[in-house]
Amino acid sequence: MTHSNTNFKLPRNQNERPGRRRHAQGLLYGFLGLAIVGLFVLDLYSGTASISLKEVLVTLVGKGSGNALFENILFQFRLPRALTALLAGAALSLCGLQMQTLFRNPLADPYILGISSGSGLGVGVFLMGLSAWGLHSLPSWLTGATTILPAWAGAFLFTALILWASSRLKDNLSLLIFGVMLGSVGSAVISLLQYVSQAEALKNYVLWSMGSFSGTDLSQVGILAGLTLVGIVLSFSNTKNLNVLHLGEQYAISLGLSPKKMRRRILLAVAILAGSTTAFCGPIGFVGIAVPHIARILFRDADHRRLLPATLLTGCCVMLLADCIAQLPGSSGIIPINTVCALLGIPVILMIILKQPE
Amino acid sequence: MNLQTPSTVSPSIVLNDLCLGFRLGRNQEKILFEQINGKAYPGELVALIGANGRGKSTLLRCLCGLGAPLRGSLSLDQNDVAYVPSHTPRTRHFAVVDLLATACYHRSDWLGNIGTAEEEKIRQALEQVGLSGFEYRDTAELSDGEFQRVTLAAALVKGSSIIVLDEPTAFLDIANKMVITELLKNLAHQQQKTIVFSTHDLQPALKSCDRIWLMGYDGFYDKRGPEAPLDKLFQDFSISTFF
Repeated sequence: MTHSNTNFKLPRNQNERPGRRRHAQGLLYGFLGLAIVGLFVLDLYSGTASISLKEVLVTLVGKGSGNALFENILFQFRLPRALTALLAGAALSLCGLQMQTLFRNPLADPYILGISSGSGLGVGVFLMGLSAWGLHSLPSWLTGATTILPAWAGAFLFTALILWASSRLKDNLSLLIFGVMLGSVGSAVISLLQYVSQAEALKNYVLWSMGSFSGTDLSQVGILAGLTLVGIVLSFSNTKNLNVLHLGEQYAISLGLSPKKMRRRILLAVAILAGSTTAFCGPIGFVGIAVPHIARILFRDADHRRLLPATLLTGCCVMLLADCIAQLPGSSGIIPINTVCALLGIPVILMIILKQPE
Repeated sequence: MNLQTPSTVSPSIVLNDLCLGFRLGRNQEKILFEQINGKAYPGELVALIGANGRGKSTLLRCLCGLGAPLRGSLSLDQNDVAYVPSHTPRTRHFAVVDLLATACYHRSDWLGNIGTAEEEKIRQALEQVGLSGFEYRDTAELSDGEFQRVTLAAALVKGSSIIVLDEPTAFLDIANKMVITELLKNLAHQQQKTIVFSTHDLQPALKSCDRIWLMGYDGFYDKRGPEAPLDKLFQDFSISTFF
């Protein structure tokens, strides 16, 4: 029996291991930061029009050759696209992490409670429903609007339902079931709309559901950035609660905390982040579920004080990289972002997981 | 065993004619156990013993404010109780020191960072449960006995003077059952804490406890030290269980 109450002092050098760990984590943060800068520039460089890297850099710092076309392409198209990718990567990966911790489920993603289904429903009603009801020419005040508003309205509606249910349901599992069911209802209505809608509207909807970072201009990126920033701050304010949730709800109660309140705060952050991202870019899959796992594997740390920033940075990197690849460097086409994520990302994740020492 | 009955000290827990159970509907209720009268003093280790389904966990949950009794009153400072659930989930790559930092929830900044005073408290708690040097071990890689001691350390870090544990020895081998009960005894005696734990392990409980609360088939017994209701225990566990 080795239990002891002896007052032997722990030698200081026993703490060498955490020191090394923190050091390695510091290096990783630095590396990820540099990678984001590099990938951001690379993302600005990639696109159908060929602009040299040098030209990209000098135009960015405002000392360009004065080529109006280049400036136009960079500031009207590529900069908003790259910024949107950056924000979406940060937002979705933070959502995924919080959902995985809240439900203690490694398969949870930002959309597990049906938020993307809500957005899809909003867009579906907007794009397909109008044509299905015979409104082939949209009212003039609607033609200028994009899919952003309906997507946001749908996400907002579903979030409101989830929050309402959350205040009535006792445990997280019931909430999970409610969310998944709600998502299925949304999908069913979307299917119905697809069935009855015209080919053109259907195609528009399918294109939206493939996800895109190209639909935003700089002022819209500003709105997205503001919303994302609010969501990120809210997420970071959940750090303590998320750590407590590692130990279960009973433990949380024993600390004098209310699991319902903790849950509501997490849901609010996730709704703002996932809702606004989906509204501006469509439902982007894969990142939300995979990035938290990549961050955990890279940092070997489940404490959210380190894991949240790690996930955020990794998410930015992954999303920028995916967008670079989506531009198909050297060709004139682009492929949908969701396709890139699935085709290239998932094998990488599977490889990392299979190679995990156990 | 600490044999003198403390007469000058006031009890830290008083159970006064408690009735445990739950409400089924508006006028319906299911009573689990009635007429619970008991006391516990600072510096005492109390073992709560009783067959499955008698309401041990319900009583413990009432003690720490997680539930309320149907009737009766209990006097203790519920803000001064640390509760260790029977099962705490584990997470990979979650270090012992990070787990214990969550116990300082109300004394940490908005991100959960703790000061040097709290770090010292964590080191002391680990020393008290015999896990010095385990600060940066991964909680998922600890043995069941070690992890149970970490959850106990979390209760110590919280700093409450009453600690309530729900079956802390349930999943442990016999050696670890002894280690944990002895550890609880030492903590109660040395730090004048009141520690209440439920258990089915009579041998370690009888060996180390100062007081036994027995939820027997014919009533609640609160006995201290050598007056341990052995005959009742015997009846309860060998006769009523089988007949």
